[in-house]
Amino acid sequence: MLTQLKGGRIIDPAHDRDGVGDLYIENGRIVEKPEGREPDEVHDVTGKIVMAGAVDVHSHIAGTNVTLGRQLMPELPLLAAEGGQPILPSPAAWGSYATGIRYAEMGYTTVIEPAMIPTHAIEAHAELAAIPIIDVAALVILGNDDYTLGLLRKGKAKSDELRDYVAWTLSHSKALGLKVINAGGSEAFKFNARTFDLDEEVPEYGVTSRGIVEAMQKAVEDLGVPHPPHVHCNNLGIAGNVETAVATLEATQGRPIHFAHVQFYGYGDEGEKGFSSGAPRLMEAVNKHKNATVDVGQVMFGQTITISGDILRQFDGRRAANPKKWIISQGDGNGTGVVPYKYKSKSFVNALQWAIGLEIFLLADDPWRVLFSTDHPNGALFIRYPEIFHLLMDRDERARWLDGLPEAARQMSNLAGIARELTLSELAVITRAAPAKLLGLKDRGHLAPGAIADIAVYTEQKNKTKMFSSADLVFKSGNLVVRKGKVVRVTWGRCYHVEPGFDPQIEKRVKAFYDRYYGVDPSWFGVDNAITHRPDRFATVPCLN
Amino acid sequence: MDSTLERAAELLARARLPVIGGLFTDINGATAALSLAEKLGGVIDHAASAGMSRASRVMRETGVTPASFGEVRNRTDTVVVIGEGPLARDPELLDRLFPGEPGLPRPGKNKRELILVGCGKVKTPKGVPASALDGKTSVPELVALLAAATREGRFDMRDKTLCKKIEAAGERLRRSAFAVFVYDPAELAEPVLHTVLETVRLLVKTTRAAIFSLAAPGNGEGVNLCSTWTCGLPVRTSFAREVPENNKWAYETERLLKSGEADALLWIDALEGAPAERPMGVPAIVLTSKPVKAGRGDVVIEVGEAGVDHDAALFLPPIAGIGLVKAARANSNKPTAAHVLNSIAALIDQRAA
Repeated sequence: MLTQLKGGRIIDPAHDRDGVGDLYIENGRIVEKPEGREPDEVHDVTGKIVMAGAVDVHSHIAGTNVTLGRQLMPELPLLAAEGGQPILPSPAAWGSYATGIRYAEMGYTTVIEPAMIPTHAIEAHAELAAIPIIDVAALVILGNDDYTLGLLRKGKAKSDELRDYVAWTLSHSKALGLKVINAGGSEAFKFNARTFDLDEEVPEYGVTSRGIVEAMQKAVEDLGVPHPPHVHCNNLGIAGNVETAVATLEATQGRPIHFAHVQFYGYGDEGEKGFSSGAPRLMEAVNKHKNATVDVGQVMFGQTITISGDILRQFDGRRAANPKKWIISQGDGNGTGVVPYKYKSKSFVNALQWAIGLEIFLLADDPWRVLFSTDHPNGALFIRYPEIFHLLMDRDERARWLDGLPEAARQMSNLAGIARELTLSELAVITRAAPAKLLGLKDRGHLAPGAIADIAVYTEQKNKTKMFSSADLVFKSGNLVVRKGKVVRVTWGRCYHVEPGFDPQIEKRVKAFYDRYYGVDPSWFGVDNAITHRPDRFATVPCLN
Repeated sequence: MDSTLERAAELLARARLPVIGGLFTDINGATAALSLAEKLGGVIDHAASAGMSRASRVMRETGVTPASFGEVRNRTDTVVVIGEGPLARDPELLDRLFPGEPGLPRPGKNKRELILVGCGKVKTPKGVPASALDGKTSVPELVALLAAATREGRFDMRDKTLCKKIEAAGERLRRSAFAVFVYDPAELAEPVLHTVLETVRLLVKTTRAAIFSLAAPGNGEGVNLCSTWTCGLPVRTSFAREVPENNKWAYETERLLKSGEADALLWIDALEGAPAERPMGVPAIVLTSKPVKAGRGDVVIEVGEAGVDHDAALFLPPIAGIGLVKAARANSNKPTAAHVLNSIAALIDQRAA
C-alpha cells in the first residue's frame, strides 16, 4: 500500500531539508514519489510539522535496575501526578506497556536502555519485549566486573583478550553498545571506598578509572562497534566535578566517546554556597573535543526516582532520599543504587541543576554532539520532555520559570543572559538525527527514501509543551499507530544489537571463570532469539570492521 | 483439548472475580497469566507468595540492601544465617558460599566466619569458624539481641554463655569488612525483617553489609519481577478496577476463595519439583505438568514442565536474576502453560466478540 503525507512542512536536518513537501510510505519504508501511481491512502498534513520519529539515546526503561525501582516505589506515578505531572496515578503507569504507549504518543519510535547488566540480560530483553510500538536496544555494562579488571591488571594488561571479551559480552547479551559506569568506582566501593577519582587505582587490580575507559575505547574502536563507549564518569553530582569531566574529555585522545547525562558533571564550586554553574567551562571543552558526544540529563522539578549502576554515588545519595527509603543492591559487576528523589524549585541546588542543563543545551556550538535526554527517570520522567523542548525553544518561557527560582540560584547561573532559542530543525537534530547517527542506526532519524517509515506529525503552536505532548499522527514502520495524541493501533517493535566477532577461546575462559567464582554457566544468561515468540524481534546492526 | 479449553474459557469469562494462583511457571507463563488476569479483571497470586509479599511490603516501606549470590560467596568475611529455613530449603548453601578455594579479591583481612542464629543443628563447612546462637531463645529474640549487640546497646539475659556469644557476634559484625545476613522471608515476620535491615543500615555507615534473601520456590521471584514490570506491582494484585491494586492480605488466594469473594480458580503448576500447594475444596481449572487426580468440577489441562519439556526463563539464584534453562527432554509435544493461557484468552475474546 502506498501512503502519502501531503503538504506538510518537512523538517529533516540530516538532509538540510526544511520546507513544504510530500512524503511517501510503502512496505514500512519511506520511498521516492512513484511515477505514474496514485497513493492508496492520503493524509493531508498541510500546515503541520513532519519529522522523523524521535530517538532517545539514554532512558532507563527496562531491566533489573528499573524493576528494582518499581518494587521500591510503586507509588511514583501517584506522587508525580499529585505534583501536576502528566501521568495516570497508577502503579501501572511506569510499567512496560504504558512506557511504549506514552513514548509513541509523543512521537518517539526508538528508545535505548543504557544500563543492561550482563548477567541479567534476559530480564532486560524480556522487559524490552513487553514494551509496545517502539524499537529498542540496550547498552551492556562492563568496567567494574572482575573479568574485565583481571584483564587490565596493572602491568599485565591483555588488550586482545579484552577486545574478545567485550565482543563476546555484546553478542551474548544482544547489546547495541557498551556502557561504562564510574569505571572502577563500583569495584572500589566493594572495598569500602566512598569516593573514586579518574586517576585512583582500583584496589587489588591497580588499574585506574582512566585506564579502564581508555582500554574500552580501544576495544570498541577495534571491533568497529558503531556506537562509541557510552560513559558515565566519576564524581557524578559533586560540586566542582566539572574539572573531572574536562579531565575525562582531555583523556579521550581524540577517540570516539559518548558522555552520558553531562548536566550532572556541570558543577563548579564557586560562590558562597560552593556550588555554581560549570556549564560554560564544560561546554568550552565539549565544543573543542569533536570526537566526543554528550547527552544532557536535564532535570525538572517534581517527584522522581534515581536508578543507577553508580552504586558508590547512589550510596552517598541515599541521605537525600525522598521519600526516605533506598536500595543499595550489591550485585556482580556494578551493582545498583535506587534512591527516590524530589527536585524542588525552591532548592538552590535543584534550581541551579535545572539551569545548568539548559545552559549546556544552549551553549552547544554543534547540536549534533549535544543530545537530548533527562536520563529518565534520574533527571526527570520522560513524560516531561515536551516541557523541556518548550524551554529550549522559547526564551520567554525560560524567563517565566526563572522568575520562580531562588535569587541565589539565578545569580550563579548564566541562563538569563542566553537569548538562543532552538529551532525546529535543531530540535530534530538533538532528538532524532544525532542520536540515530551516533547509535549507528542509519535507517532512522531522517526522512530520506530508504529510511524506516517512523514519522511524527505535529501541529505547530506557540505552546511547545502542548505541541510535543501529543503528536497528530505517528507512523511506526509505516503503520499508523497514533492519531490525535492517542494510540490507535498497538504494534510490536524490534530490538537492535551488534554481533562483533571474537576468538572462540574467550568462551572457554569465561566459562571457567564463572564456574570457579560463581558456580554458574554463562549459557544461563545468554540471550536467545526465542526469548520472544516474535520471529523477527532481533535485528543486527553491522560493525564497521 | 479444544472442548476442555472452551470449558475453561467459559468458566473464567462467567466468573465475577477469578483468581489465577499457583503460578509455578516460567516468565512466558507469568506474562500470559498477567495478561489473562488483566483481561478478566481478576487477581494474580503465587503459591509461595507469603514470604515474598512480606518482603515486598518491607521493601516498599524502608528499602532493602541485597547482595548477589556471587558477592556473598566471593567477598564476605562474615555470613550470618538466620533461622532453619535457609539450610532446610538449600542444604548445600553453606558449601556453595564457602567453596574452600580462594574467591575474587575481597575487602579486609579477616578470616571468613559463619554466625548461625537459631539454625538448629547444622553441619558447617570444613575449616570455617562458626558460632551458633541458639538454645531456648526464639529466632526473633535472637535477631533483636544480635541487633542490640551490634549497635552496642545494653541487654542482659540469664543464659550468660549465650549472652557472651551474642556480644561477641555483635563485635564481629562491627569489625567485619563485609557481613551478609542470609534468611528466608517466608520464615520471618515483618518486624524481624525490619530489624535485620536496620542493622544493615547501621553497619553500612562504616563498613559493607547486605542481606541475602532466599528465593521463593516455584520461580516465585521470577513471577514477582514479571508482575512488577508488567503492571508496576508484585503478586497478590487485583485487576478488578481500572487501576491495579496490591494487598497482601486481601488478594491472597485462599482467603479470596474461603470468603467467597473469588468464584473461580485457575491454578498453574508447571515446574519441576514439589507441587504448588493448592487450596482444598474449591473446583479449579488446573494447568499442570504433574499427574493429578481431578476432583469434581475440576478442569485439568496437561502442560509441559518449564525447563524440562521446553526452554524456560526462570529466576536462578546463582545469578540473582532471570536465566535461561534449556529443555532437558527433547521433542516433547506438550503445550506450554503460556500457550494454553493465550489460547484461553483468545477463546474469551471470541466469546466477547
